[in-house]
Formats: sequence, structure tokens, C-alpha cells
Amino acid sequence: MKATFSVTVQAAIISCLLAFSSSAQADKLVIGVPAWPSAQVTANIIAMSVKDRLGVETDLQERGTLTILGEIGSGDIDVHPEIWLPNLSQMVERMSKDEGPLRLSQIGVDATQNICVTRGTAASTGIKAVSDLTRPEIAEQFDSDGDGKGEIWIGAKTWSSTEIERIRAHSYGYDKTMNLLEMPEDVAMAAVDAAVAISQPIVFYCYGPHHVFELHDIVTLEEPPYDASHWTIVKRADDPQWLEKSTADTAWDRSHFHIGYATRLEKDMPQVAEFLNRISFDPSDTTAMSYAVVVEGKSPQDVAKSWIEANGDRIGEWMK
Amino acid sequence: MSALGIASRLNSPSIRRNVPFRPAIAALLVIFCACAALAQALETQIFDPATRTWVTYDPRQAVKYYRAHGQTPEEFQRRIVDFKTAEKPGTIIIDGDKHFLYFVLPNFQAIRYGIGVGKEGFGWAGIVKVGRMQEWPTWTPPAEMVERDPKAAQYKDGMPGGPENPLGARALYLYEGNQDTIYRIHGTNQPWSIGLNISSGCIRMNNDDVTDLYSRVEIGAKVIVLMQGAALYRGV
Repeated sequence: MKATFSVTVQAAIISCLLAFSSSAQADKLVIGVPAWPSAQVTANIIAMSVKDRLGVETDLQERGTLTILGEIGSGDIDVHPEIWLPNLSQMVERMSKDEGPLRLSQIGVDATQNICVTRGTAASTGIKAVSDLTRPEIAEQFDSDGDGKGEIWIGAKTWSSTEIERIRAHSYGYDKTMNLLEMPEDVAMAAVDAAVAISQPIVFYCYGPHHVFELHDIVTLEEPPYDASHWTIVKRADDPQWLEKSTADTAWDRSHFHIGYATRLEKDMPQVAEFLNRISFDPSDTTAMSYAVVVEGKSPQDVAKSWIEANGDRIGEWMK
Repeated sequence: MSALGIASRLNSPSIRRNVPFRPAIAALLVIFCACAALAQALETQIFDPATRTWVTYDPRQAVKYYRAHGQTPEEFQRRIVDFKTAEKPGTIIIDGDKHFLYFVLPNFQAIRYGIGVGKEGFGWAGIVKVGRMQEWPTWTPPAEMVERDPKAAQYKDGMPGGPENPLGARALYLYEGNQDTIYRIHGTNQPWSIGLNISSGCIRMNNDDVTDLYSRVEIGAKVIVLMQGAALYRGV
């Protein structure tokens, strides 16, 4: 999952920036561009569309997701193309309430966070559910170092989801049968590629939309549906006993991401604000964008241009 | 391929390693300098399709196999394989656990080479790049080895490149940013050792393979070292 943050950093940024709401460049729409491909393409689609159809000049600024939110607060950036929830829920809530500087489009894209295997893994190991990982005879089939425990990638070190995945492993109990690996995403995805190449079992944290679902035949492991009463998350930074005090033994809550924009646009660029509010991507749109950039090696600009050419009618609807 | 051939199985790894050990990083720094010179071995197991059992593939067996066939087992020989990945052509992916190095080609293919790794595998996982490459590199034994081994002592100022040099015909120096990690992908004067966890670190390839790889790789190429042997980096 892309969004990364700490409560402390959030609080600091919010406390510093909530008070500011000045317009950065009144005649230009400044769009933040986070590091991941679907957001980069979306940023370019927004930029090209408002320029071509509304005659609004744009400026694309590459920033981290937290910085973009901060600069929406300070008035330096106008648009965040992809805000992930529930990952950034606390920050978004604080910036949106009481006429705060951020507006979140009501239309979001559904996202997923699960534990996945390849189709071949499901067939060869018999694994069907996340809870199967607690069974030693299943877990040992994912053992790559001969210590009798399997290995599972639970995310990158800096991701907010990784800490929660560790809690989930503890709550389900498979932290006793599996080694929980934290590694950069490129390493984990290359491991999936290599596992597929030699029909090797592999299990890993997965989120979508993501190009891995296009690249390989991926199976999501079953688990009980999200139940808020089963989720108590204590942050590692807040309590040394965070793991023991936390519980998360059901599926993740529904995840989704939205376009966010500066509240001032409703007054300064009302047509743009309305357009941003109406943009409605499907998960398949986002997956295709990600795939085109990451796998096919196309530039976000080229992917955006192609997408606009193929979806003129949809953009026309959003501009009405 | 003899009875000691290697078969890929759907249910289990065809090659596995018995390395219940987690080295300290400091220790690794010492032994990785030694690269290919030490000769301590840990077992690799390969699947024998004739007996349908796992058999130890240790240095003795490896030498025997190499003498009989003049090459490593088929599974470790260079070949083009299907390889679906989002990584760009030119990227190197190292699976130390299975003793394979992939060089990514266009159209979801890769060249797969057999490799030998250190006795504790590669020791870490992550993303680095090829920072420098060298033909017939000089090998300099670490001070600890010079002190202990009179044979190594004669090369304390560096052993010139050549067939006897343990770094073999080519070396690719792996960098993190602009820093040399001291990890290398290099050739070997012990081609029978491909497929084994032997010696002390680095990635060894037979000289033909490392020469082939050298001819394809560009400086700056991305190198991904997979999460082999979780015990090696658990808690890091």
C-alpha cells in the first residue's frame, strides 16, 4: 500500500498547516504527483483535461503523498490525485472538517488489501484461507531456509499497512508458523515472478488495484469479513505492548482512494472543482494505468493521453 | 542428465538448502571480502528423479558430477526461460536460495544462469545496482586470511587476474548509490561449485556465464536480491 505516515508527523504537519489557506497560483492549477504509477497517470489526465476543455493552465509537482496534503493545507498545491483510505483517514478527517483546506471527492475507487498466493500455489499446497497459515503442514510448504517455518512478505518497512499485517499475523496466530518478512515491494514482486517461473509456492500481502493481478494468476486467501469489533489497533510508536494489545483477526475494512483538492477551488475554479468531484475511475482503469507504466514501460503522460483519447465521452460527462 | 539430475516439482522446491544460521553483518563484511577463496561448504539438496528422494549435493558429489560430465547439472546451465515480470529488460534478479540468476529480456523472458552462493547464502536482500565491471579482476585476500594462510599471504598485494584467480574471468561490483557494497557477481576457478553454498559470499558463476552476463549488462543496471533464507535477515 502506497500511503505511509506516522501519527506524529501527521499531527505536526496538520498543526502547522491547517491555519493556512492562501491561494498559491490563482491562475494555475497545481497538481501534486505522488510516486506510484496510477496516481501519476491520474494527475496527467486531470492536467490534460482541464487544459484542453477548460483552458486552465496546470503545473505538475512531484511530491510525497504527505507533502502533497501538507501543501494543499499551505496553499501551494491544489490537487492530490489519489488519497488512500483508511490509511490516511485520520489526517484527511482533520483537514476536511469545519471548512478545512481539503475536500475529498465523494467518488472513490474500491481497493483491496489481502493475503495472496499464486494459482499454482493454491493448487499445490491446498491453502485456501489465511487461517491455513497457522497449520504447520501448510506453513512448511513455504519454508525457504529449512527452519521449518514458512516465509511470508507482509509489506515494506515504511508502510502503515505492514504494522497492521504484523498484528493480523499475531491475531490469527501464523506469526508462530511463518517468518514475517518486511522488504521493499520490488523485491517482493520479483520474488513472486521467480516463484512463478519455477512453480514454487509463495504467499504475500497484496493490495489492489495492482499490476500483479494482471501479470500473474493470483488467488486471494479467504478470511472472515471485516468486523470492527475484532479490530483494535495500537500503534507501535504509542505503546511497547502494541502487539499484545492489538487485535485484527478478520479481513481488512473496505479500502478505497479518492481525488482530493483544495477547498478554495470551489470558489476560485468552480468548474475544476466540479470536474474533480465527478471523476469516476473503475478499479480496472487504475490497474490498466499501473500495468501500462510499470510493465509496458510507457510514460505516465503517454498513458494519460491514450486514456483520454479512448474515454472522451466519460470526460465529457464529468465536465458537464 | 544423469540420475542425479534436478527436477522442478510443483509441490516442493527442487533445490533446497540447509542453513539454519544467521550471520552478523560484521562477520559478513569480513567473509565477503574473502569472496571465493575459502572452501567451507554447507549442503544443497537436489531432487533425484530416479529414486524420487532428496539427495545431498555437496562438494564431493559436485566434483564427481563435474568430472563425469564436464559441466554442472542441467538445471544450472544457462538457458532462456519464460519470466513474467514488471522489471525492465536489463535488470538482474538473484534467487540465491534456488541458485539462479535471471537477466531480464524483453517479452517476458529471461536468461537464467546457475550460481553458487556463500555458505550462508547471499546474506541479505534488497536492491542495488551494477556500479563497476572488470575483466579478469585482481583478487586481494583479506588481512585475516593473509595472517592465517601462507598461500594467501603471497597475494597480500593482490593476485593478478587469470585462470587461477578465484574471481574468475569477470566481476560485476554491486553498489548502493555510489557506495561499493563489497558484494560482487564474479566468475570462478571452481566451476563445479555452481549450485552449492560454498566458500564465503558473493555470487559465483562459471566463467562462460559471467562473461556472457558481462557482455549484456550495462553500468547502472538494477540488481534485485530476493528474500532467500529468511533467517538471514529476520529482524534486520
